[in-house]
Amino acid sequence: MNRIETVISTLILASVLAGCAQVSQVPSGEVVVRSKMAVTIDQPWNQFERSPAGDNHPTWTVDGVTVDSLKFYVALADGELIAPTPNEPKGQRALTFKSAMTQQEVLGLFEGLYTRSGSTFELERVAPHNFMSRNGFKADWNGVRKTDNVRLKGVIWACVHNGELYAITYTAPSLAFFSKNHGAVEKIVASARVRNRD
Amino acid sequence: MDRRDLLRWSCAQCAVFSGLGAGVAHADTDSSGVPHPPWQPPARFSRPDLASDEGGLWALMDREETRMRRSPFRIRDAGLETYLKEITCRLAGGHCDDIRTYALRAPYFNAAMAPNGMMLIWSGLLLRTENEAQLGAVIGHEIAHYLQRHSVDRLRDVRGRAAFGQFMAMFGVVGLVGSLVAAAGAMAYSRDHEREADRIGVMLMRQAGYDARAAALVWSNLLEEITANPNADPTKNSVLFATHPPSAERRQTLEKLAAGSPSGDQGAEAFKTRMAAIRPMMLEDEIKRMRYAESIVLITRLIRSSTQDAHLLHYRGESHRLRLEAGDAEAALRDFEAALQTAAPLAITHRSLGYLYRTMGHPAKSSDHFSQYLSLSPEARDAELIKKELL
Repeated sequence: MNRIETVISTLILASVLAGCAQVSQVPSGEVVVRSKMAVTIDQPWNQFERSPAGDNHPTWTVDGVTVDSLKFYVALADGELIAPTPNEPKGQRALTFKSAMTQQEVLGLFEGLYTRSGSTFELERVAPHNFMSRNGFKADWNGVRKTDNVRLKGVIWACVHNGELYAITYTAPSLAFFSKNHGAVEKIVASARVRNRD
Repeated sequence: MDRRDLLRWSCAQCAVFSGLGAGVAHADTDSSGVPHPPWQPPARFSRPDLASDEGGLWALMDREETRMRRSPFRIRDAGLETYLKEITCRLAGGHCDDIRTYALRAPYFNAAMAPNGMMLIWSGLLLRTENEAQLGAVIGHEIAHYLQRHSVDRLRDVRGRAAFGQFMAMFGVVGLVGSLVAAAGAMAYSRDHEREADRIGVMLMRQAGYDARAAALVWSNLLEEITANPNADPTKNSVLFATHPPSAERRQTLEKLAAGSPSGDQGAEAFKTRMAAIRPMMLEDEIKRMRYAESIVLITRLIRSSTQDAHLLHYRGESHRLRLEAGDAEAALRDFEAALQTAAPLAITHRSLGYLYRTMGHPAKSSDHFSQYLSLSPEARDAELIKKELL
């Protein structure tokens, strides 16, 4: 099976999964995400009410969540997990956000999320980045997903505001799919802003 | 081809395995002293008829092997693959040409042997073995599964269950590593098979001139590591512990099997040389498992025989720094300082010290080490982020 076939198989699997999970459409325009983040989108996206990865962060996709995945981490407070800790094996460190974390440590949380099950994560570049009008960072990475050997590319944007973590992550197979929606994702991230609840 | 024919003793193999004679006398009883029938290696296997169940299994594994060769998780290090082949041939004798050994980038202790002769050694196992004899113990064990055709026995045992049909179907959808994890559960050898593979593996080690005592050491080292976590259940932390005989029994059996063996080859220097190129990657992957208690036990054991290894000291320090429980900051500091005193210190140790001193409330020292890191690695992928940390 070549790489394109692998991706197509994954796509089919994603479609099957999508049929089992609750999916809703996110219409174009301004979108409020978890009440504290707002973004503007110019094309509709599909949103999983609950991430197939088992966490509770809004997850958007165009072609299927195991193909392209745009994930929002909105206002995580000190002590919150970015993802649940598997019951087994014991001894695995929880991915807990702490308000006092450095940006490198925040990046380490996401790296741990991708690698703790055996997938690979190679950092291409991380640099300071103005995210949501705050001092944050942008990290570009690539890796190989353990479950299906698919080569992935990903981007992480994150900042800490008032002690809370805001982040958007985008992940997709490096073969064709990443670039397909990358431009739209960059626009969404550029539009992201903290929304003050009135 | 009848299985008895395949397992029948072949005079053609007598020359190849002539060294077994003395060993069999030691190895031919189990831990309770019950004698086993004499074992002799089978003749080389022919490819089974495709219409047979065994032929179908071979075909399936051939397809997986094709994927394995292309997999991004395969460690494409020609020197390493040659070395694994040399060890395999030293143990497998006349079956050498039928067994292909691959190294797989997966940071867990595991190895697998497919009935078509594909053997997979996970990088987590390579990190955990300290010399060629220990690695040979695992490879010998896997060869024993192959020689005794245990996977075919297992196939015939499970195929009546619906689970096996699902297992077969999975290979077309999920990837290699995922498949292997599934296979480890669905195709796990029985404990009797494992006992037999242990027994034959020790015979093969002795015949090949390796120190047979290494087999028991591999097992006890792994148990020590896995039980580093409070309330750890080895049967859930490792596929091997889930499917293999109880560890205490196994260690004792292996010790008994090796008892009285002449001291054989350890191959420590050759092993160290061959692993040097991939060791940093294996240590990095080990830390990324985020199971720091286990990593600390593992690396501490490795440091005992390589006290001046900058990578080992650095990554044990990283385990402490990232865990950051009581006493970890101080332990990390000791390791990082020791790593910088070695003959070949690493630039990344300065970065770790920068973060550690920042955590400990020493901004000037933190900035100094970040500065040294940037000086040594101006093109580092995180250089721009680190620059923000300078005072």
